[in-house]
Amino acid sequence: MSAPILEVNDLHVRFANGVDALRGVSFALDRGEALAVIGESGAGKSTLAHSVLGLIQPPEASGSVVVAGSAMLGATDQRLRAVRWSVVSLVPQASAFNPVVPIGDQIAEPLIEHAGMSAAAARSRTNELAEEVLMDPSLLGRYPEQLSGGERRVALLAMALALDPALVVLDEPTSGVDPIGRVALLERIATLSRSRGFALLIVSHDLPAAAQLGARCMVLYAGEAMESGDRHAVIHQPAHPYSRALISAYPVMTTTRDLRPIRGSPPDPRAIPPGCPFHPRCTQAEDICRNQRPVLEPSRDRLVACHFGGVRVLLAASEISKSFRTAGRTVRALDAVSLTVEHGEAVAIVGRSGSGKSTLARVISGHLHPDAGRLVLGDPVLGRTSASPGELRRQVQLVMQDPWDALSPRLTVAELAREPLDIAASKNAEQRRQAVAEMLNAVGLPTSGGFLSAHSHELSGGQLQRIVLARALLAEPTMLVADEPTSMLDPSEQARLLVVLRELQVEKGLALVLISHDISLVRKVSDRIVVLESGQLVEEGRAEQVSGSPRSEAARLLVDAAPMLEHPGGDPRPPSAPGGRWTR
Amino acid sequence: MAIAEASASGHGEFEQSRFRAIRGPAGLVMGYVATILVLVTLNFFLPRALPGEPLEALSNPRSPTFIGDQERRLAVEQYYGLDRPAGEQFLAYLAGLMRGDLGKSIRYNVPVSTLIAERLPWTLLLGGTALTAGTMGGVVAGIRSGWRRGRDGDRLLLPLFVALDSVPMFVVASVIISLFAVQLGWFPLSGARTPFSDAWPPWRQALDIGHHLLLPAGLLAVQFSAFQFLVMRASMIGELGSDYIRLGRAKGMTDRILKYRYAARNALLPTVSVVGLQAGLAVSATIFVEAVFAYPGLGRLMVEAIASRDYPAIQGVFLIVTVMVLTANLAADLAYRRLDVRTRR
Amino acid sequence: MTASASWFLKIGGAITGVFLLLVVAGPALAPYDPQAVVGASLVAPSGAHLLGTNDAGQDILSQLLVGTRASMLTGILAATLAVAAGVLVGATAGLLGGWADLVAMRIVDVFLAIPALPLVILIASLASPSRATIVAVIALAGWPPISRIVRSQTLVLASRGYVHAARGFDSGWPYVVRRHLVPGLAPLIVATYVNWASAAIVLEAGLAFIGLGDPTAVSWGSVLQRALGHAGIYATAAWTWWVLPAGLAIAGAAIGLAFLGVAIEPRSNPRWARS
Repeated sequence: MSAPILEVNDLHVRFANGVDALRGVSFALDRGEALAVIGESGAGKSTLAHSVLGLIQPPEASGSVVVAGSAMLGATDQRLRAVRWSVVSLVPQASAFNPVVPIGDQIAEPLIEHAGMSAAAARSRTNELAEEVLMDPSLLGRYPEQLSGGERRVALLAMALALDPALVVLDEPTSGVDPIGRVALLERIATLSRSRGFALLIVSHDLPAAAQLGARCMVLYAGEAMESGDRHAVIHQPAHPYSRALISAYPVMTTTRDLRPIRGSPPDPRAIPPGCPFHPRCTQAEDICRNQRPVLEPSRDRLVACHFGGVRVLLAASEISKSFRTAGRTVRALDAVSLTVEHGEAVAIVGRSGSGKSTLARVISGHLHPDAGRLVLGDPVLGRTSASPGELRRQVQLVMQDPWDALSPRLTVAELAREPLDIAASKNAEQRRQAVAEMLNAVGLPTSGGFLSAHSHELSGGQLQRIVLARALLAEPTMLVADEPTSMLDPSEQARLLVVLRELQVEKGLALVLISHDISLVRKVSDRIVVLESGQLVEEGRAEQVSGSPRSEAARLLVDAAPMLEHPGGDPRPPSAPGGRWTR
Repeated sequence: MAIAEASASGHGEFEQSRFRAIRGPAGLVMGYVATILVLVTLNFFLPRALPGEPLEALSNPRSPTFIGDQERRLAVEQYYGLDRPAGEQFLAYLAGLMRGDLGKSIRYNVPVSTLIAERLPWTLLLGGTALTAGTMGGVVAGIRSGWRRGRDGDRLLLPLFVALDSVPMFVVASVIISLFAVQLGWFPLSGARTPFSDAWPPWRQALDIGHHLLLPAGLLAVQFSAFQFLVMRASMIGELGSDYIRLGRAKGMTDRILKYRYAARNALLPTVSVVGLQAGLAVSATIFVEAVFAYPGLGRLMVEAIASRDYPAIQGVFLIVTVMVLTANLAADLAYRRLDVRTRR
Repeated sequence: MTASASWFLKIGGAITGVFLLLVVAGPALAPYDPQAVVGASLVAPSGAHLLGTNDAGQDILSQLLVGTRASMLTGILAATLAVAAGVLVGATAGLLGGWADLVAMRIVDVFLAIPALPLVILIASLASPSRATIVAVIALAGWPPISRIVRSQTLVLASRGYVHAARGFDSGWPYVVRRHLVPGLAPLIVATYVNWASAAIVLEAGLAFIGLGDPTAVSWGSVLQRALGHAGIYATAAWTWWVLPAGLAIAGAAIGLAFLGVAIEPRSNPRWARS
């Protein structure tokens, strides 16, 4: 087993202006292997790419970077020149060509300077290189200005391969390339990597590109690695809260859910918070996250830097069964249904009327006691016992279908909204008034005196439902269960409520269980869909999979029955494609 | 001063065409022609428009500039034609220009054009050698200083060249003369050649001219190099942080290659655009140096003409010198267009 | 400010400070009336005459001290005029755009194309010799390049988002000028001013040197002109106390201001300060 081509150990980079670009990154790359480093801007990706080439030196950089046995940090210029380009090369993000020298000459430059080739030999080799990367050879005589962005990118690739290096570092290889060119470029790189056998280090915020090229993925945030493992694991079943949020936020053809931004904003690289750098934005942060930095450790068959080993399960319902007796008959509403909901997740429960959805909703929110089964709130690994109904009711707030029913007609809006605070009696009158005003604002309702003293019969269904939502949130739950919250509302009010629901979910970091018979609605809000039929769980999976290519009969019926606006020219529904571009 | 002027023309940016309505070389040439026209007109109007009636004073017995000699006075009055209507004057003036008639020198009583023809070659010799040497020296020093910004030699060279650029050359010239020409006696005090040396064998004449040339040309070269140094240095510094240099380093290129093939080649472009500006400054400096060294060029002619209020001569030199500078500007502008690959389509 | 820039600031500031002091105190410090004949001709430096006397027997030290005022003030005044005119034209052209800009810049371009010194010499020799002429002529040489610089910077500032925002809040142009443009232009104007003051002093001396100075006033340039016009000046040792001090005074003031300009420039022109 030969030594790794690249070994990075505890790499720290701090720039003169106080910016902490990298805070202790370690990884190794074997010959011929490919690693994709994913992260958003400011995460330290480009810094990492440059460090591998030794372009960042002490005192700014500390730790160790070893390429094919040569230490890059603190090496002499001569040593660096011996390694650069012949062992490791770079395809930079920006078009970094010398403006006054033709492209061909620049590709040939390392051949002449390093390999000592004659001008003629270098020229013919350059032509060969151009062919290999499928570049139009007539471009070689032109100046960088005269090439398009995509052509320059390909030329940079040819240049990087000139000396047949063992490691190629790609910094944002797809930035500025049009979507069609992107596909071609990625395929070229992958093919060349296989045929020439060089290792790849890709650094990018383009998740699908990184996933396509890198067999391993590492997620970088605020200069640290949050998660690292096999590509399929990291991208399709992300463990770290940040990875999960990042992948959720990425627009691809394969998700139907609307974009969900990550709440909060990335930390100022000059003032990264203590403890876990992601904790201010994490939906499951606790005290330990604020105080202690997590270490990248094995968890769920990959490496994760999280005190909890990744996203935690919030609610675990196992083998829930419930029967009702009416008029001598026994109806089995729920038959050994198991459901887990993770922190910050949105799960939809769909099924026909009578499939047991509402029953399940009541059970998991503590309003109904199951005949059998366990309900655990919190991480089952921690070994908590079954949660008490009281605990459930507080932590899991239920928003029901009928707002007129949920709100007393005798109370004013202000009194209705204040009710959970009045019951808890934890704040004084002024604080309660303040909290109510803020929450009404958050759900998009006015806070004027006139509105606050209105009664329920004066308001629309949508407004009432939002008051219900506001109340639920004032109770500060960790999870919301919404049972057909929009079925009694007009379409525009439906839209409004869902938008508010989604925003608040992200904002407050709540988990959401949305119950509905309308699959076209829920797939815009949820990550996962669970299908119930006659009290049994018949299908479960990612929203796009269940709604796009349902496997169970029940789901198929629901999908077929889902309302559509007729389009001239046939079915506008996208063809069901199993998986998606990421799994090639 | 040089810095201010360099910034004005935008070293680093490039004012493509003075006649921006029309792009390309045609626009440049049109702009050139337009400026020459303005110049010629200006030359006509200034003596007639400025307060103090300088031209009338030449004929006024009470004025200090009165020309006593009748023949000369009549010649001047004839040339300026003040008794004729303005339009006629202007046409006569233009017609004269076409013929190459710049009037007759009051002081020397020969046609101004003759005087200029005599003196021009010396100015070209002096200015040409100084410009070449100064530009090369300044560019080379500027490249090295810019590359090593703030370190090593730059810490010495920058203040030195700033001082050289701002100090009046005629002051330095006087000091240099007294030191090298008078005290040490290594060089002649003045003039372009030893009197009556045209009888010497050619090689000896050439040596003699070179000997006389060394001090003034050297001084001028130092002044030119100071300006060129500052421009080149600033240009180099502008390139230093660029992406392509960083990639060049990643490609394992040596410092020498990065300095010359990468940075300097790109930094050189703006310096071409200021060569035109350089010509303007060259003229000013040359006038002073010629005055101090009594070098028989156009500059010295100008100074002599001023002393005797020899207006036709002053105007003639002004016109010729300005046209030369404008032509140099035009040549530089056209050359820049060819050199800058970005504008080459 | 970088280390080298602060070095320039200290040295430049010190030198300029001394000269400014002399502008005020010069005449008071002069031991003799500079135009009075107070000694024999070409006397070497001695107790009575620290810098000796010139060919007419006038005390050179007094001439230089009194001349400081003329030289420095002329330069400063000329620079002020040039900068004022340049800022006015440049900022207006930059703000108004359109025809005003086009016309103004055409005129400036013509002036820029014509070499400054020959034009200055032409005008100075034609007009009646006086301080006002010199100041006007130097200002004439200075305002075109200054207006170009100011215009460029104005264009940059005017396109900034915060100016658009202010206009979006329905502010008038006077507000924008006061609140955003002046602070934005100030560093550039100061640097330009200092550089031009340096150039103006040299120019004034130069003009005097070739005989175009104000004949009535005593200035460094006039001292130098007289000295270098004296036949055989280099043959005697007189040049060390007659030529040299005047030359040093001119050079000193020019360098002091130039160093100040270099120190200020990095702040206004980031191209100089790029690391």
